[in-house]
Amino acid sequence: MKKLAVTAFLLAVSSAAQNLTEVLQQGEQVFAKSCATGYCHGVKGGAGGAPRLVGRHFDQAYINNVVTRGVPDTGMPSFATRLSRPDLVAVIAYVATLNGITNPTVGPGGAAATVSSRPKLTGEAARGARLFTDAVRSFGRCSTCHEVDDLGISVAAPIAKVPSSVAELKALATPAVKTATMDGESMPVLVLSEGKQSIVFYDLTSVPPVQRSAEPGSVAFADGSNWRHSSAVKSYDDSELTAILTYLRAAAKP
Amino acid sequence: MRFALFLFTISSLLAQDAGATRADWPHYGGTQFSWRYSSLDQINTTNVKALTPAWMFQTGDYAENLQATPIVVAGVMYVITARARVFALDAATGRLIWHYEYPEPPHSVPGFVGNRGVAVGDGKVFFGTKDDYMVALDQKSGRLLWRVNIDDARQCGCNITAAPLVVKDKVIVGGTGGDGAHRGYITAFHTTNGRLAWRWYVIPGPGEKGNETWKGDSWKFGGGAPWLTGSYDPALNLVYWGTGNAASDFFDGDRVAAGADKSRDINLYTASVVALDADTGKLRWHYQEVPDDLWDYDSAYEVLLIDREIRGRLRQTLVHMNKSGLTSVLDRATGEYLGAFSVPEARTWITGVTEDGKLVGRNEPQLGKTITVCPSAAGAKSWNSMAYSPRSGFLYVPVNEICNDITPNNRAPDEGRGYMNGEFPMKLAPGRTTYSHVDAWDPVTGKRAWSMPYKYLLLASMLSTAGDLVFTGNPEGEFFALDAKSGNKLWSYQTGAGNRGSAVSYAVNGRQYIATPTGWHVSVVGALAQSLFPDQEWRLGSTLVIFALPEGSR
Repeated sequence: MKKLAVTAFLLAVSSAAQNLTEVLQQGEQVFAKSCATGYCHGVKGGAGGAPRLVGRHFDQAYINNVVTRGVPDTGMPSFATRLSRPDLVAVIAYVATLNGITNPTVGPGGAAATVSSRPKLTGEAARGARLFTDAVRSFGRCSTCHEVDDLGISVAAPIAKVPSSVAELKALATPAVKTATMDGESMPVLVLSEGKQSIVFYDLTSVPPVQRSAEPGSVAFADGSNWRHSSAVKSYDDSELTAILTYLRAAAKP
Repeated sequence: MRFALFLFTISSLLAQDAGATRADWPHYGGTQFSWRYSSLDQINTTNVKALTPAWMFQTGDYAENLQATPIVVAGVMYVITARARVFALDAATGRLIWHYEYPEPPHSVPGFVGNRGVAVGDGKVFFGTKDDYMVALDQKSGRLLWRVNIDDARQCGCNITAAPLVVKDKVIVGGTGGDGAHRGYITAFHTTNGRLAWRWYVIPGPGEKGNETWKGDSWKFGGGAPWLTGSYDPALNLVYWGTGNAASDFFDGDRVAAGADKSRDINLYTASVVALDADTGKLRWHYQEVPDDLWDYDSAYEVLLIDREIRGRLRQTLVHMNKSGLTSVLDRATGEYLGAFSVPEARTWITGVTEDGKLVGRNEPQLGKTITVCPSAAGAKSWNSMAYSPRSGFLYVPVNEICNDITPNNRAPDEGRGYMNGEFPMKLAPGRTTYSHVDAWDPVTGKRAWSMPYKYLLLASMLSTAGDLVFTGNPEGEFFALDAKSGNKLWSYQTGAGNRGSAVSYAVNGRQYIATPTGWHVSVVGALAQSLFPDQEWRLGSTLVIFALPEGSR
């Protein structure tokens, strides 16, 4: 029975992991790097700045939920996209052993069944992904206004169609950008909502965009604007923009 | 001679005026000189025994504790909870005027949940959020006016827990994330419309002065997050801020060139105090307290601007404590070093400091070894502020005596993820029966005037008043008043939950109030304190308790 479960796990999860002992060793290493660090759960889950995880009688389903979804209103984030699938399986199994579960489930339908995995990017697409969120560019990066793959700020609507070329990317038509006039000042805006209580829009005058609320009647909108996507992408050269387009095509695949 | 003396008295009084609050408590540190000192003296050493609760306010947000410094302007108190619920209250009665609840982010965000206060200015109430936005509300109605994203919290592993600082037409804020692979910065926005005014990176980029103090590309993830609130001197138009530790915290092999001279600037501008031009964010001067920090010794704490006579000359000084408890006194116009003193009793990270401020006998973590270091990465003092009284000339400092066993490692950085590179289990300093103390220090002589020991840890801010009183609270829930001159305990009140907030004093219609947030919490240093005293159960909560003398007794 035990042999069967281990075989199923081998088929389903990882060709690198040879047996449960190795999975748990891997889990211990992942834990040391991602969970025991800083002010978090401490060495071998013995408590640090975050709660103790040893001997808490957690069942494995609970551990799975917490690790993959995080705990709202605490410092515990979701690790669903922070760790690779094999690492998630391993660390969930390891935390289970801290709670007296000597033979944790690691196969299909077990610990990591709810964890989705994302194909790993390589080459030009990987370079494009790094450029898209490049912190060195501060607010000059794409992710200041676009959210892709759970990174970035969704100021703009989700990218529905990836431009076919750098020229098309720069010359992008942006009919949603209007011109607002408020307090005698004109500015390019993206309107979010026009309610009876308040009107909400993004002010695109400078980066980062500012989400502003105004009372009805205090702001007027007109179609068209002087805002240009070519200015928004000016921190990148054409080679970098080509890489970013390669990334967006890879990310758009289901 | 007589004339000179007269001038000195006047300028001394002017300085005193600038640092003391009056009826209002307008800023995080009281005034923007950050003394946490109230000029109100209705409540004093002779009548404090009669101090009694006037009103209470329960926020209902018990996810985390109440760490905020309440702001009081013209009889209205503004307070924010851990999950960014903002309340405007009648400061005399506790009546709710308005309430704003920041929406929960749609995705989980890293970092701990906490909020140390709002800032009020330009008719608005400003605060930072756990998903890394700066938000502005209308001061009268609580209506949302604007919000702007500071960084992608999911990528940078950073957010805002500090109170912002309003300087003229700008609102300025520092962020967290310096224990991860992140490059810290201070950002200023225009108060009117939320547009970016300036950003100053703690770590200079390529081509900028100071970048050469970093090995290779390590500047990209070198930490330095300035995660608390700065100060402002309007006469010099300078904003002062403390910066965080270098990352990785306990291993410098990736960020410091072999054989570097550790007596001078390394990994700028981490573990430093900096002076920035308030209008442009340009660096005017810096003073690095811990070159090549290897102990997680942030310099992110409060900056007190104090005018004092030093060696026969009135100096515009700046007093600043590093997390190690090493406290620097600098000329705040130039950054000139004037002196330093160390507050913890258990100290093993250095053996001393030279006359010009250089560290002596550095006890550095090394790969493959475990060393015991005191004080711990939790700090000789935590984020909770000290206070100053111009009447006594003393700083009032909550000091903790904890050590940690540091075992470093050399893992590679991963953007926005933990980058401490070490295990550092904490333990109580050996050979003691009490593990914290409230101290009175004279910043000019560097001498301790008195010390009041306490069994557990002290993690609430200090408040000092012209009534010669010093207020703070402890994890057991006791909020108490000490005699500012002697340290004798004169009054205490059991608030029912652990104290980890920042008390303030203010007056409405001539009646002086003392307000303290209460409620323990279980994040970071709070849980750590709990783990050192496993038999203790310090109670959670989120309640403001406001004290005054009984009506008619004044």
